[in-house]
Amino acid sequence: MGLMDDHQQYQESLALHALEALDATEARSLEAHLASCAECRAALSEWRDATGLLAHASTPKAPSDELRARILAAARAETRAPQTGSSARVVPMPIAPRRSNLWPNVLRIAAAVAIVGLLVGVIVMWRRDVLSRREIARITREKARAENLLAREREARAKEGDAIAMLNSRDTKKMELAGTETAQNARGTFVYDPKTGHGMLMTEGLPATPADKQYEVWFIPKGHTPMPGKMFTVDASGRAMVAGEIPLEARANAVIAITLEPKKGSAAPTSAIYLSSPSS
Amino acid sequence: MTRLPALKAEPSESSDGDLLRALARGDQTALAGIYDRYRLILFGLVMRILHDRAEAEDVLQETFLQVWRRAGDFDEARGRAFTWLVTIARSRALDRLRASASRGRVAGEAAQMPQDDVGDAAEDALRSEQGKVVRQALAELPSEQRRALFLAYFEGLTQTEIAARLGDPLGTVKTRMRSGMIKLRELLRDKLGNSM
Repeated sequence: MGLMDDHQQYQESLALHALEALDATEARSLEAHLASCAECRAALSEWRDATGLLAHASTPKAPSDELRARILAAARAETRAPQTGSSARVVPMPIAPRRSNLWPNVLRIAAAVAIVGLLVGVIVMWRRDVLSRREIARITREKARAENLLAREREARAKEGDAIAMLNSRDTKKMELAGTETAQNARGTFVYDPKTGHGMLMTEGLPATPADKQYEVWFIPKGHTPMPGKMFTVDASGRAMVAGEIPLEARANAVIAITLEPKKGSAAPTSAIYLSSPSS
Repeated sequence: MTRLPALKAEPSESSDGDLLRALARGDQTALAGIYDRYRLILFGLVMRILHDRAEAEDVLQETFLQVWRRAGDFDEARGRAFTWLVTIARSRALDRLRASASRGRVAGEAAQMPQDDVGDAAEDALRSEQGKVVRQALAELPSEQRRALFLAYFEGLTQTEIAARLGDPLGTVKTRMRSGMIKLRELLRDKLGNSM
């Protein structure tokens, strides 16, 4: 099937994706396409606007009068003491501090430039080749050919699409994940675009995945219970490269953590944390 | 702090974009403004999903606090402010719904019978012009299209779950939902424009 046919098929799925009604596999494959297709991204945002109209199908209702005061007071309290979670459910997990408007433009551009460089470096390591900068440029040009170097070709292709979309994004941010006592040799890098929510996690040094378990990614937005992300396994060196979508709530300042869970996944973390982004 | 008129958005008021920009600067008056403007529609939405006032108020609070913290993330070039707000409210409400379902609570009678709101006159008074246009368009959809869209939107079901719930083939369900969505998109393009 040609790329155009794929593109048309993906276009057909956009309306249902805006409703979040696609099945998980279909949604993942569409997300991978979206990472590299500006046309579909633009169409999706229009579908999302159309989806939002469905809210009007519900009967408007008035919340209690106290709620207004409660919300404004909570907002004021947050402004004074950023660490105070206002949500009813505060989880006993490391919580990132409030970081609003932390990135003035110049700093942001400089950081983005640095991250692009780092990300390229990481990808190169992932290819287990020592490629010169010129070779990296060649790989970008000969993307299709270079992709064949990757062992699990189909999956890797989608991931590379994500990576390149992120390379092209000025908004890309990066977080280092450190191994905990449970996995002292592990480390990881999480690169993401807070605007689109596309993120990629690269790990190494994680213990081998037991047959009945998989690693699970958790996003822990401030004041929120951990939100499950992708499940993954690692290779013999404890490496994995996982592309995925960050939940909306977790895009600005969530802690990322990795735990080992039963294969079917867990709704909440059940094991010790293996890898985690800094909590402060 | 001035309390803005709660029920209707006056033409002279700040645009949603202006309010969200002010919010991003930490202006609490703007938070009150956004709350007064959207509390009815958002609370109605969250109630429709959760069917529980206490839970719904909790979720509405989380929603506005998220709006307060994340207003800087809103980008007018990427979509309407209304979409951004209802997306946050819906996704928090559905999270809550799933959490209570996994605690063993039944989702609510709406799971069986998605109501087609035909609201009374008093409720209509609360509703915006935009809402009327949308509801009229939804009323004109074939009921099986509307039903499938509502199951996805208010109960967070996937296409496969909807097909199972309705006992219809997956392909049929997908076609229905797409047709319904196309109608909504036309509405957005033809009648509602991008002004709201």
